[in-house]
Amino acid sequence: MNRWVRLLPLAVALAGAAFFFTSQPAAALDENGCLKCHGNPDLKKTDSSGRVVSLFVNEELVNTAAHRFIDCTTCHTNDPHNVATPLTKLSLAEKCGQCHKYEYTQHINSVHGQQLQQGNSDVATCVDCHSATGNPHSVIRVLEYNAPAFKKNISQTCAKCHDNPELMANYGVLERVYESYMRSFHGKAIQLGTYQVSQLDQATCTNCHGTHDIKAVTDPSSSVAGVDNLAETCEQCHPGAGTEFARGFLGHEEASPQHVPVVFYTEKLFSVLLIGVLSIGAVVVVTAGVRFGIKRWRE
Amino acid sequence: MSVTSTVPAVAPSEMAIEKVARFDIHQRIQHLGLMISFIVLVLTGIPLKFADSPVSQWWVALWGGIDVTRGAHRFGAWLIMAVCVYHLVYLVYNIVVAKKPFPVRMVPTRQDIVDFYREIAYSVGLLKERPRYDRYNWREKFDYWAIFWGMPVMAGSGLILMYPVLATKLLPGWVVPAALVAHSDEAMLALTWIFVVHIFFSHFSPGIFPVNTSIFTGKVPRARYVREHPLEYDRMNRPIEVEQADEVPARDI
Repeated sequence: MNRWVRLLPLAVALAGAAFFFTSQPAAALDENGCLKCHGNPDLKKTDSSGRVVSLFVNEELVNTAAHRFIDCTTCHTNDPHNVATPLTKLSLAEKCGQCHKYEYTQHINSVHGQQLQQGNSDVATCVDCHSATGNPHSVIRVLEYNAPAFKKNISQTCAKCHDNPELMANYGVLERVYESYMRSFHGKAIQLGTYQVSQLDQATCTNCHGTHDIKAVTDPSSSVAGVDNLAETCEQCHPGAGTEFARGFLGHEEASPQHVPVVFYTEKLFSVLLIGVLSIGAVVVVTAGVRFGIKRWRE
Repeated sequence: MSVTSTVPAVAPSEMAIEKVARFDIHQRIQHLGLMISFIVLVLTGIPLKFADSPVSQWWVALWGGIDVTRGAHRFGAWLIMAVCVYHLVYLVYNIVVAKKPFPVRMVPTRQDIVDFYREIAYSVGLLKERPRYDRYNWREKFDYWAIFWGMPVMAGSGLILMYPVLATKLLPGWVVPAALVAHSDEAMLALTWIFVVHIFFSHFSPGIFPVNTSIFTGKVPRARYVREHPLEYDRMNRPIEVEQADEVPARDI
């Protein structure tokens, strides 16, 4: 009996070694061996207009991508060397839409998709939110903690564009939406929340504005346009919230004498109170401390 | 610090041991309840104020997530409200049922403003003697009445934030953002005051450091009573005269 117990560590070590030497990282499905050439970082071509296009596909990213078990030819056709590359943002969205038909329809009718159809390449399309590198080969699933569309990361993903004042000024969006969200209770809950699945019920940008079907706040059919739509949106998480509840939301604008003045003046009142009372406290503590110090010094 | 001239003739060794009762059991329980709930509220509330700090994120994760700190904050809130109700019931009972004198010594008077200036003047060296205080000095009165102002603000705004849907059924929508601002700023005021001024005066003062146990044990060493509350001490030890009998029960609450 005792002899067998002494052998136990050896058995564990052997099993570990066997596991270590036989396991290998998951590899993407690559039925036609595309990565043999396209796995080379230096692979590039020069297109008809003389532009140099990299043909490199990062194998490491592909191996962990959501589509790792879908062969390259599914998207790149059976005659992959005869396709126009690189794709535009719109044609890229169309590619995704071949399978993700519902999301594509929503996206193409959204404020982002409509701009996309007009040839605006500022706007976000599938890969901008679903891939950390904006690359279709590294799209990862939403429930992976490092996905740009994971609940805790969504606000940063939106902020890539919406926290860029110069870019937003072109569209008349002047509020610092990211900062004001982060100051709000929802933003604080996201910042203090963990990456656990139990945290998925915290509200972030997409909970109010929508995801694939996101609309401009100026669009009357937007989920946040007008106090009635907004109240309905609030009710998704706050049962029984009415229009008065929705009115309590300041929007992404800070309170000011023009915008919800009562909140602005409440803030001012309490700031004055805070500074006034603490100044008195500071004077009393400092003078008493100095007095005590002098007394000690003299004795 | 020297003992003032009103000290009765008691030997120093005896003075060091002998203690005078200052707070009753209810006052001690109320302070303890206030202290515990206040600490819980601060520990679970501060990270919300500084949510973008990695320290806050670490601290909330340590508690087990924001749901846990939220639950603890609400528990602390109900506890502190219960303590305040306890205090009000205690006051009303003492005055109405037990027929104790109205606790006038806690009421702010003009003398408190004078004492405030005299204390500052003493600290900066303009006066040789500290002001002589009664049962409660101006700092103790300030601490006490600050809670009378702070509790309705904190409980009112806190309940609005706890039940925003109900609150906006009864009140206009702007009360929620206004409550958030009020709750956050008043909390900063309260905790800075408590952790700097209150702790400094009650515990870190010369002659008391490092901890003043009187609010926990209810008793104060006689020598310190004489030094800190000479007017009350004198009154307590004055022989009772018949014509003054109605004002003599010096044991204010």
